[in-house]
Amino acid sequence: MKQRLYVKPELCTGCRTCELACSFTNTVDGKPRRSRIYPLPAGYPDMYVPVVCLHCDDPACAKSCLVDAITRNEETGGMELDQDKCVRCMACIAACPFGCALLDTQYDQVVKCDLCGGDPVCARFCPTKALECRPAVLTTRKKLAGSSS
Amino acid sequence: MRIENAGQLEQYRRECQARLDKQTRRLLVCCGPGCLANGSQAVSDAFKKVLRNRKIKGFKVEALKETGCHGFCEQGPLVVIEPEGIFYTRVKPAHAEKILEETIAKNKVIDKLLFRDHNNGQPITCYRDIPFYSRQQRIALRNIGQINQCDIDEYIATGGYSGMAKALTQMTPKQVIDEVTASGLRGRGGGGFPAGRKWKTAASAEDTPHYVICNGDEGDPGAFMDRAIMEGDPHSVIEGMIIAAYAVGAHEGYIYVREEYPLAVVNLQKAIEQATEYGLLGENIIGTDFTLELNISRGGGAFVCGESSALMRSVAGEVGEPRAKYVRSVLKGLYDKPTVLNNVESYACVPAIIDKGGKWFASIGTKKSTGTKAFSLVGKVRNTGLIEVPMGTTLREIIYDIGGGIQNDRPFKAVQTGGPSGGCLPEAKLDLPVDFDTLTEAGSMMGSGGMIVLDDQTCVVDLAKYFLAFLVDESCGKCVPCREGLHQLYGMAVAVSEGRATEETLEKMERLSEVVAVGSLCGLGKSGPNPFLSTVKYFRDEYLAHINDKKCPAGVCRELIRFEVIEDKCDGCMACVAACASNAITGQKKEPHVIDQELCNKCGACRTVCRRDAILVL
Amino acid sequence: MISMTINGKVVKAEKGEMLLKVTRREGIDIPALCHHDAVEPFGGCRLCMVEITKADWDGWKNYVTACLYPAEDGLIIQTHSAKVNELRKGVLDLLAARCPNSPEIRELAAEYGVPQTTLEEVPDADNCIMCGLCTRVCERLGFKAISTVGRGHSKQVAPPLNEAPPDCVGCISCAQVCPTNVIPYKDINGKRTIWEKQFELIACKECGKHTITTDFADALCERRAIPRDYFDVCDDCRRKELSLKMGSIVAWSREGTS
Ligand SMILES: Cc1cc2nc3c(=O)[nH]c(=O)nc-3n(C[C@H](O)[C@H](O)[C@H](O)COP(=O)(O)O)c2cc1C
Ligand code: SF4
Ligand code: SF4
Ligand code: SF4
Ligand code: SF4
Ligand code: FES
Repeated sequence: MKQRLYVKPELCTGCRTCELACSFTNTVDGKPRRSRIYPLPAGYPDMYVPVVCLHCDDPACAKSCLVDAITRNEETGGMELDQDKCVRCMACIAACPFGCALLDTQYDQVVKCDLCGGDPVCARFCPTKALECRPAVLTTRKKLAGSSS
Repeated sequence: MRIENAGQLEQYRRECQARLDKQTRRLLVCCGPGCLANGSQAVSDAFKKVLRNRKIKGFKVEALKETGCHGFCEQGPLVVIEPEGIFYTRVKPAHAEKILEETIAKNKVIDKLLFRDHNNGQPITCYRDIPFYSRQQRIALRNIGQINQCDIDEYIATGGYSGMAKALTQMTPKQVIDEVTASGLRGRGGGGFPAGRKWKTAASAEDTPHYVICNGDEGDPGAFMDRAIMEGDPHSVIEGMIIAAYAVGAHEGYIYVREEYPLAVVNLQKAIEQATEYGLLGENIIGTDFTLELNISRGGGAFVCGESSALMRSVAGEVGEPRAKYVRSVLKGLYDKPTVLNNVESYACVPAIIDKGGKWFASIGTKKSTGTKAFSLVGKVRNTGLIEVPMGTTLREIIYDIGGGIQNDRPFKAVQTGGPSGGCLPEAKLDLPVDFDTLTEAGSMMGSGGMIVLDDQTCVVDLAKYFLAFLVDESCGKCVPCREGLHQLYGMAVAVSEGRATEETLEKMERLSEVVAVGSLCGLGKSGPNPFLSTVKYFRDEYLAHINDKKCPAGVCRELIRFEVIEDKCDGCMACVAACASNAITGQKKEPHVIDQELCNKCGACRTVCRRDAILVL
Repeated sequence: MISMTINGKVVKAEKGEMLLKVTRREGIDIPALCHHDAVEPFGGCRLCMVEITKADWDGWKNYVTACLYPAEDGLIIQTHSAKVNELRKGVLDLLAARCPNSPEIRELAAEYGVPQTTLEEVPDADNCIMCGLCTRVCERLGFKAISTVGRGHSKQVAPPLNEAPPDCVGCISCAQVCPTNVIPYKDINGKRTIWEKQFELIACKECGKHTITTDFADALCERRAIPRDYFDVCDDCRRKELSLKMGSIVAWSREGTS
C-alpha cells in the first residue's frame, strides 16, 4: 500500500523529536545533524515546518541521477536511494527543489528520507501528530483536473 | 553466372574439371608466406616473362599457377610440376627458362634443383616420395599448393562446394549437425571443443538472430596454418561456414582476420565476391531459400583478440578485451546472440566431412581426437614447414620422419607445442601420440598447432622467459593475476637466467603460477604459466643449474656464460675477430686468439663463424 | 526463488542474481575492489573469488568470481575456504607489489596475511589498481571522458591524448568510486580542478555555498530535462525556502479561518 507522510506545520511545536528519531534510526551515532528531517523555523513566532522529502510524483532527484540510484519503492511509494549504486556526484542534492537530498559529511554519503521502508519513525514519535503516515489518498493532478472540470 | 541448383553445380564442376584436364602439364609456383618471403613472386614473374616471349609446346599460360603454401617452406621457393609431381627446391628467377625448356618441353628433370635425401644425399624427383610429404595426410590443407590461390573454378573442379550443395539440398540442418557430431570433429583453435555439440546448442537456442564467426586471428608466434588456409584456399573456409550457418540457422557471419594478414583479407574478399557472383553465397544459395551474408572483420591487433569473448567484442566494434562468461557464447555471443565461433581449420574440414561422411573422418586419427591436424613445424628441426598428419601420430614421427630430425644432427632436447599457452615436452615423451587429451595430460596442449623443436643449445629458462615476455606484452591488463602475475613471473624468470635467483624463487614462481592459472579471467592468463610450469617440471635440473651453479648448461643465458678460445684448436684465421662487434678478440694471424672477458658482450657471433669449433661456451 | 548453500548455511536467492549480491545480503564480507552496483560486473580484481561445487559434480570444484557468477539452484559455495583464502592472498600479494603505498591495499592485504608483499615492488608505482571503475562509471554516466589506454602491465587510465578531457563535466564520480582514492581533485575558491581541467562551481544565489559544476548542471538539464534554475540555490537554502513558504501558507490559512 502506498504511504504518504503527511506534514501539518500547524501542529508542529518545533520539539525536534522527529529529528532525533530519524538520526537515531538511520545513522550510526545518532547525531541530529545527520537526520533526514529538519524542523525549521517558518518565519512566524512559534511556527515550525518539519522539512522532509516529499517523494515527489516527478522527482528531480531521480531525474538528475544518471546512474539511476534513486528509484521509487512501489510498495511504500517512497523515493529510495541505493547506497551501493550511488556514485556521489551530488547531482540530486543540487537538483532537489526542496533541499531534501543531503550529504552526510561524516560518512561521505548521500542520504535522503526513504520513509523508513514504510513505517517512518519520525511520524511514530511526533508527539503532536504533526507528522502522520497513512495510505496515500490519490490526489494526483489528474484527479484534481477531473474534479475541477 | 549464377548457379541455380545442385545439378548445375555438378555440371559446372565437370566443365571446370575438363578444362583442367586439358592442361596436361601444370606448373605450380608456391606463393605461400614462406616462399614469398624467399622471393617466389619473382620466380613466378620470371616464368610469366619467359612465356610471354616464347611458346612452349603443349603448355599454356593458364597452367602456370600461383598456389598457397606447399608446406616445405624450408626448401622454398618451391616449384612443382604436375602430374608427375616433380619437385624443385630453392628455385631462383634465373631457373625459369631452364625449367620451361628442359622439364616442361623436353621432359628432362633438372637434377640440381631436386630435393636431396638428408641421409644418403640422393635426389628425389617426386615430392610424394619425400618422407616429409609421404607421411602426411591432408584434409584441411587438401587444396593448398594444388590449385591457384583464389580461383573458384579450380576449387569447384576439385569438388568444392559440392559438400555445401549436398547439405543444403539433401540434408536437414539436424542431419548436418549429426554428421559433424559423428565425425568427432573437435575445434582446431586450441580448446578442442566438439564442433557438433557447439552447433547443436546454437541451433536449439531460441534467441534470434544466430551468427557464425570464423576465428582467423592466429596469434601464436610461429604459427601459420590458418594463414595458409585463408590465403591459399579461402573457399574451403567459406564453404565450411555456409554449412555451419545452414546447420545453426544463421544468416550473417564474420570472418575475423588477424591484422597482420592483409593477403588473407584480399583473397577472402575475392573469394566472397566470386562465390556471391556464382550464387554460392548471399541470397538464395544455389536456388534454395537459404541466405547467408559473410563479412570480413579486421583483427584488433592483439593476441588476446583471438579469445572468443574478446573476439566477439572486437567484431562488434568494442575494445577487444575478454569478458568473463559464465553464460557460454554459443548462447550469448556476438551482440549477446547465439553465436558459433570456430577456427579456420575447423571450418576447412567441414566440407570434406559432409562430402565424404562423418564416419570417414572419424576413421582417421584416434578415437577421441578424430581426423587430422595441421601443424607449423619450426625450430631446430631440419624440415621446417606446414604439415598435416592424422591425430595420434607420435611426436617422434613428426619430428624425425617428417621433420627429418634435428638440424646439424644435434641432440633433441624438447618440443614446444601449443604456443604461449602450451608447454614443453622432453625426449621421454617423444612417443606420445599427438592428440588433444594426451598432450594436455603431459602438461602441454595441442593449441592451434604450433610446434617448435628445440635442441641442446636451447635453454628452457630462456624459452620460458621468451613466452612469458610475449604474454606480458599481450595480456590485456584487465585482471590482476594475469597482468601483475605474469609480470612478476617474468621478472623472476629473468632473475633465474641472470643467476640472481634462489631455490625459494622457484617455489615462489610455482605458487604464483597457481594463483595466475586459477585466478585469471580468460584463457590467456589461465594457461600463461604453462611454459614455465612444463619446463620446470621436466627440466628442473636446468633451472637449478642456473640457480645454484650459476651456469646455463645450454650456453644461452648471457649473464652465466663465458666464451673462450681453445688454444689447440684455434688456427688464427681471424674470422672471429671480424665477427666480434665489441672488438673483444685479439691475436696474431695464425696464432691462437684470446677473448677479453671484460669487453665480450656474449653475443656468440665468434662461435658461429669459427670453422674449427675452437670457441667454447662455459 | 532458488536455494543454495553458502558456508554451510542454506540461503534463498533469486535465480540469476549475482552471488556477490547474495553474499552481501547475507552479511558475508568478501573483498570486491572492482565492483560497483552502478556498473556492470567486470571480474577484474579477482578478489571476490569463491569456491563452488554441486552435489553431482563428483567433488569437482570451481573457482569463480562472485561478482558475476549467477545464482543457481543447488550451488554449494565456500567464500573463505583455505584455497580461496590462499588465492585471495596471492592476488593481494600481487596488488601489494603493484601499489605498495596504498593504505587501502595494505590494510586488505594485511587482513589476508600479507603485511608486506613477498614480490618485487613495481618501481614508481602509483596507487591505481586498474580496476577500471572510474572509466566504467564515467561511461555509465554517459560522458566517456576518460578511458584506459595501453594493455597489460602498462595499461593506464587517462584522458584522451593525456590532455584535459574535453568531455569531462567535473562531476568527480570517478574520484568518488575509486577504491584506492588515486584520482585527485580540488575545490578551491569556487573552482574545481580534476584531470587538470578547471570548472566553475555553481554558487548558491542566497548564501554562496558551492554545489556542482556549471558544466555538470548544463549536462543534466540537457539530458534529463531539469529546469536550469533548479540549480541556482543550494540545498540548505532550499529547505529554508520551503519552510518559509509553508509557514506563510499556514499563516495565510489561519488568517483566512479566523
Ligand atoms: C588468449 C587466447 C587466444 C586465442 N587465440 C586464438 C586464435 O588465434 N585462433 C583461434 O582459432 N582460436 C584462438 N583461441 C581459442 C578461441 O577462444 C576459441 O576457443 C576458438 O576460436 C573456437 O574455435 P574451435 O572450437 O573451432 O577451435 C584463443 C583463446 C585464448 C584464450
Ligand atoms: S529528494 Fe527532493 S526531489 Fe527527490 S523526491 Fe524528495 S523532495 Fe522530491
Ligand atoms: S550523488 Fe548518488 S544518488 Fe545523487 S545523483 Fe549522484 S549517483 Fe545519484
Ligand atoms: S587473463 Fe589476461 S588477457 Fe585475460 S582478461 Fe585477464 S588480463 Fe586480460
Ligand atoms: S569527473 Fe569527468 S571524468 Fe570523472 S566521472 Fe565525471 S565526467 Fe567522467
Ligand atoms: S569484484 Fe569481482 S572481480 Fe573484482
